[in-house]
Amino acid sequence: MQSQITRSRTSRASFTLYALCLAAILWYPDTAGADSEDAVASMFSFSGFGTLGVVHSSEDQADFSANIFQANGAGYTRQWSPDVDSRIGAQVVATVSAKLSAVLQIVSEQNFDGTYWPHVEWANIQYHFTPDFSVRLGRSILPGFLFSDTRLVGYTYPWVRPPVELYSLIPVDANDGIDILYHLQVGDLVDRIQGNFGYSNSQVPNNRGTSRGRNSWGFTNTAEYGPVTLLLSFQASHLTDTASDPFFDAFRQFGPQGIAIANQYDNDDKLIEIEDVGASYDSGRWLVVSEWSHANTHSFLGDQTAWYGSSGYRLGKFMPYLTYAEVRAIGNSNPGLNLMGLPPGAAEFGAGLNAGLNTLLEAIADQKTVSAGTRWDFAKNVDLKLQVDHTRLGAGSSGTLINVQPGFIPGGTVNLFSAAIDFVW
Amino acid sequence: MARLNRFGWCAQVGLALSLAIGPARADVVAVVSAKSLVTTLTKAQLTDIFLGKANRFPNGTPAVPIDQTEGSVARNEFYEKVAGKSAAQIKAFWSKIIFTGRGQPPKEVADSLEMKKRISENPSTIGYIEQNLVDDSVKVVLQ
Repeated sequence: MQSQITRSRTSRASFTLYALCLAAILWYPDTAGADSEDAVASMFSFSGFGTLGVVHSSEDQADFSANIFQANGAGYTRQWSPDVDSRIGAQVVATVSAKLSAVLQIVSEQNFDGTYWPHVEWANIQYHFTPDFSVRLGRSILPGFLFSDTRLVGYTYPWVRPPVELYSLIPVDANDGIDILYHLQVGDLVDRIQGNFGYSNSQVPNNRGTSRGRNSWGFTNTAEYGPVTLLLSFQASHLTDTASDPFFDAFRQFGPQGIAIANQYDNDDKLIEIEDVGASYDSGRWLVVSEWSHANTHSFLGDQTAWYGSSGYRLGKFMPYLTYAEVRAIGNSNPGLNLMGLPPGAAEFGAGLNAGLNTLLEAIADQKTVSAGTRWDFAKNVDLKLQVDHTRLGAGSSGTLINVQPGFIPGGTVNLFSAAIDFVW
Repeated sequence: MARLNRFGWCAQVGLALSLAIGPARADVVAVVSAKSLVTTLTKAQLTDIFLGKANRFPNGTPAVPIDQTEGSVARNEFYEKVAGKSAAQIKAFWSKIIFTGRGQPPKEVADSLEMKKRISENPSTIGYIEQNLVDDSVKVVLQ
């Protein structure tokens, strides 16, 4: 009953989103770049983006979702889901002077509770001490991966979505705090160094509360040389999600061995570290992108490595592409408590806890995907993308799937078909 | 069925190729003010300036690129020639900058005549016009 109410609210919300997107497309055919602006009007730049997408999954006992913070997706909740990729965003930039500017970006997409209430994606004030050195204060999205800070703007990349194997590694989202940018130009080499410090609060689906990142810091170096881009990034944070505390407190009742397991896997002020190396070659005709990342959460959220390689070739307004992506879980099982010699009641309880722990660890994604698709720039500022994905789940793993049902058989294959229209204005 | 598919595929490739070749082109050249000290620029240097990656000319003086309106023939030809990129790819590139709050694309002017006028007045500016419009108020930096 509860879920039915949620679902009907979701479909109404996604219908509203579709209506908004269509209105936006119709409303803004050609107004950008109007010439006659007065000084006040030219201080503000308005822009926006959106995606109308639909995904079909061959697996009906779990949901495919592109984002770990979404409530549902394609497969179990709906055979054809508009909620995986559809979104709309609007932005205003105020350029007060050459030195001072501010940005506010609002995005409506499927939230942790299945609603489409808009949230603030970016909100910061930027001050340029020199043309090459600036500081931003407020909310920004961490640039830890090649496409992480524009992952919501489908128009900026060739695929329907960045490969989920790598892009679902990060359990944090926006960064509220400070970041420092330095821009360096040596001949044809352009280098951008970014350092960030702050905190984050991310709402987790299924009433699992808020995932809090504290003392988050990191740096990213992006070097561009003609068509070549190379990114190196390191991000660290201290993550707390109290929803799992009662479960691990139960382990602690079993003395030193239980305490050791709880300390190893609980999610209480745990250091998470993410390293990323990405490279792309974009000649305008050929696009080759590859990225590797390792994320260790020091908790039941896992220790994983992921990489992908993708290539596309532009034929006029079409760009067909092929992608291979994989994510591997390092250690997704644990023998748990040693139950030898415990009284029968305690042993039974302990066995239940061991099974629970291994269910959590099996949910650490382990999968490989081959994707093929094409982007078609069929009209000004609008593209259409079609993509098929064939995913093989690791042995005993449910991969990146969510809402896994009792009838789900781990370790199988999943086929997806996705269609998306992206637009910017 | 197989034959039908093959026909569909051929039609699509044919369509794609004809779109890639596009209409006949006027020769667009990159220009700076006649008063500028800049003499020649490479395609890579022009690309960096127009895509906001470089804010200075190689001689260290400030560089302010100016664009013609989106969809204009001169603009599309300029970016295909210099950066090897389509209008959509350039738009995608700027969307990445805009939606991370890192900047805005160059200011736009209505046509080549207005561009020539703006450029001749300011030695920091750089733009592109049809070759047959070049006169002694501007200097060609890339043929």
